[in-house]
Amino acid sequence: MARRKFATLKSFLNYIGVEGDRTIFTWVSASEGDRWAQVIKGATEKIKALGPAKKMVKTIG
Amino acid sequence: MAHKNSQKRVKPEDRKKKVIGVVARGCTTRSLIIHLQERQYERDDVCIIGVPCDGYVDGKGLKVKIGGADIVEGTVDGGQLKMKTSDGDKTVALKDVLAECCLTCRFNNPIISDVMIGSPAPAMNPDAEYNDVKEFEAKSIEERWAYFIKEMEKCIRCNACRQACPSCYCPTCFVEQSQPQWVGIGEDKTDTQVFQFMRLYHMVGRCVDCGSCVSVCPMGVDLRKFLKKIDKDCFEMFSNRAGSSMEDMPPLGKYDEHHDKQDFIYNP
Ligand code: SF4
Ligand code: SF4
Ligand code: SF4
Repeated sequence: MARRKFATLKSFLNYIGVEGDRTIFTWVSASEGDRWAQVIKGATEKIKALGPAKKMVKTIG
Repeated sequence: MAHKNSQKRVKPEDRKKKVIGVVARGCTTRSLIIHLQERQYERDDVCIIGVPCDGYVDGKGLKVKIGGADIVEGTVDGGQLKMKTSDGDKTVALKDVLAECCLTCRFNNPIISDVMIGSPAPAMNPDAEYNDVKEFEAKSIEERWAYFIKEMEKCIRCNACRQACPSCYCPTCFVEQSQPQWVGIGEDKTDTQVFQFMRLYHMVGRCVDCGSCVSVCPMGVDLRKFLKKIDKDCFEMFSNRAGSSMEDMPPLGKYDEHHDKQDFIYNP
């Protein structure tokens, strides 16, 4: 079940040191335009507050 | 059981090679249950000879304890391990050299079997099984990340952990399978972190804490620190202990609308 995968993934990432706030999961129905906008706005704010992700990022070259 | 043989895990492909009799201690039966839940073979295809288990010795830890001497011969006498070594006779208390997974094992007696040998083994100390994880959870996020990368830096990508793991039975691992190859197979630091993270994460509801990966790792990577967290979460979130009951379904294959927590869901 996707939801259980997300719950455990978020917790495990946080455990190894990747901020839990970076793993964002929610439901939005196709008919919920306003909510969709709200979710994206909220998620963007959360991520901006954390700054760029540097963990487990590969630099090539 | 000689240490070397005790590390030989049962994998689904062994069954296809017509290995149909399995001598199994507690954690082996958990692996078998996982294989059965994951429909790798049928219950009738294996005859399980259950053996109660008192734990196995952590060979690397023992070697350190006896100052690096080579062991020529050893016997267990009461709670003592008596050895003839290249550095004379040595005796250590068994409880001081058992593998970590055995010290806190909850299922040292076989869960399923067709034939049982011997009488049930005394309980180990399962109450302490998450002590290490709780201590780690209490650290700051930066300390936890620092520890993760420090451990992963030791890893040489030999894949021994994956080979030894009874739950890692995919004929082709995700690492070698994906196109394009998102996770490199070399020793790049990030690739290693991602590979390890994903392999560990594949153990949700599937790691039976047999300690095989830990015991075969030539670099002493602290894999159990991470695996036990997965086990703890799985129990706390879904009341599931991997391979502990034939009646259970794999925890990631179902959902309990009354008991599953909602707190991971983002609700702006
Ligand atoms: S991850 Fe390690 S301890 Fe867990 S089942 Fe696999 S080999 Fe055993
Ligand atoms: S890490 Fe995952 S994909 Fe790779 S062998 Fe293990 S279970 Fe299979
Ligand atoms: S056995 Fe150890 S060194 Fe080898 S791949 Fe696994 S963690 Fe890395």
